[in-house]
Amino acid sequence: MTAAQPFNVRVREIVELAPSLKRFSFEPVHGGVFPTPPAGGHVLLTLRDGARVMKNAYSLVSPPSERSRYDIIVRLVAQSRGGSSHLHRKVAPGDVLEMANPVSLFPLISTAKKHLLIGGGIGITPMLSFLPELKARGARFELHQLATLEEVPVFERLLAPYAAGEEIRVHGGGRAAFDLAGLLARQPLGTHVYVCGPHSLMEAVASTAAALGWPKTKVHKESFGGDITGLPFRAVLRKSGIEVEVGESQSLLEAIEAAGVEAPCLCRGGACGQCATPLVEGEAEHRDDFLSAEEKAAGTLIMTCVSRARGPRIVIDL
Amino acid sequence: MSDQGMKSRPTYAPLAPDPSGRHHLLVVEAAEVPAEALAEGVVPSAFEVWTVARRSAVPSAPAMEEAPGSVAIFRSVTHLFSALEERLARETMGLRLYAAGAEPFLWDVWGRAEKAGLSRQETAFAEVGPKARRIYCVHCRTVTEGVTTSIFTCPGCGASLFVRDHFSRRLAAFMGVQVDAEVPGEVPEAEELYA
Repeated sequence: MTAAQPFNVRVREIVELAPSLKRFSFEPVHGGVFPTPPAGGHVLLTLRDGARVMKNAYSLVSPPSERSRYDIIVRLVAQSRGGSSHLHRKVAPGDVLEMANPVSLFPLISTAKKHLLIGGGIGITPMLSFLPELKARGARFELHQLATLEEVPVFERLLAPYAAGEEIRVHGGGRAAFDLAGLLARQPLGTHVYVCGPHSLMEAVASTAAALGWPKTKVHKESFGGDITGLPFRAVLRKSGIEVEVGESQSLLEAIEAAGVEAPCLCRGGACGQCATPLVEGEAEHRDDFLSAEEKAAGTLIMTCVSRARGPRIVIDL
Repeated sequence: MSDQGMKSRPTYAPLAPDPSGRHHLLVVEAAEVPAEALAEGVVPSAFEVWTVARRSAVPSAPAMEEAPGSVAIFRSVTHLFSALEERLARETMGLRLYAAGAEPFLWDVWGRAEKAGLSRQETAFAEVGPKARRIYCVHCRTVTEGVTTSIFTCPGCGASLFVRDHFSRRLAAFMGVQVDAEVPGEVPEAEELYA
């Protein structure tokens, strides 16, 4: 499945929240309203920088009930492949961008007795979409946001509209000062935990929860894409009969799309599994959260959105 | 008529502690843990055990110990369920709940577990004891315990009910439907099937 046809949105407003954080507000180019997004949903933005085309997924931070605008928060990362720096440095109010309809791979579980939200850094974004929804449902929840000391006030401001009378805490003391095991150990039966943040935080939550007896079905991770850069390689697309060069700051999926081949994709962050493509020759360097350890070892599938070749050449069945 | 080819019937297996769990509570519809309820090599002391004595003289438990190997004895199933509801309401993630008993008991346990937020992955059931059925009259909603025959008379509405193999996990009961709906009075002879 490929996300539905993109549509045009206009940049309505850009607000600098912190030196490396900007909130972008979009509105429909031709007036009217956007579709109601799912809580925890994300949109795919197509960013064109000269000949380079990037498609990046961003969690919506505006309330799901808000249809006149879609908001995202983007962090400018030092080793940006171009997406975040393009948004931060080149996009201005009034610009028109291509966006695909929001989808969610990170839904709130309606049968949960309690929702435990854990955000790390910019991983706060899907939580900002969850909070108004949880408030509206009258659901029981607790949120813990990890931040660097200097960004604590920024996140506190973002969470302030939902904070009254709720268990919402921003931790600025680093991971070591955050008692993850204690938090997970005291949760009542029927709690679901949702984590978004750096890969290491998501792994820590998943492994600590498992060690405390949480079933996998109650642990939910939202990957917003780790590092996908690496050594350049050549990919042979067997069915299409072409070869593409994958640059060091480019993903295999982006190289395939640049060659004009329609490839399956959805989250573009190694989480959803839509882009799993048979690997015919060569070895993959797996960077996704979707394939199991056994599947990765078997080496018969590659997730084109985040994984790369280990070596100069691979052949895929696309 | 006993094998109605129903594919949705729940299936059960002897119990063993789930190694991914942090705490293991086994509730039993009998005074002792039946040996056939446990998988080979599994001993009752692997669980915190709750049993039902079905008599008034049970040892009082001043402070109930909540640890593997401890045993709490209840006067009745109702008594046990009351304590179970309280316990689940204050339990934390990591609990695994096991039940051994007749089918209606198991699914009454499930109803309480689900209400407390437990999922099927956090529960396991072993069916032991009589196969007599709890029947839900689909016409008047009367529930009848201990039905052993293929056809019986609903004590609620007097209808002759055919006992279907259709089991409701929610109601913890099999469905009973009027057997002479087409030709009133034409009631086949009841067979003794479920004991």
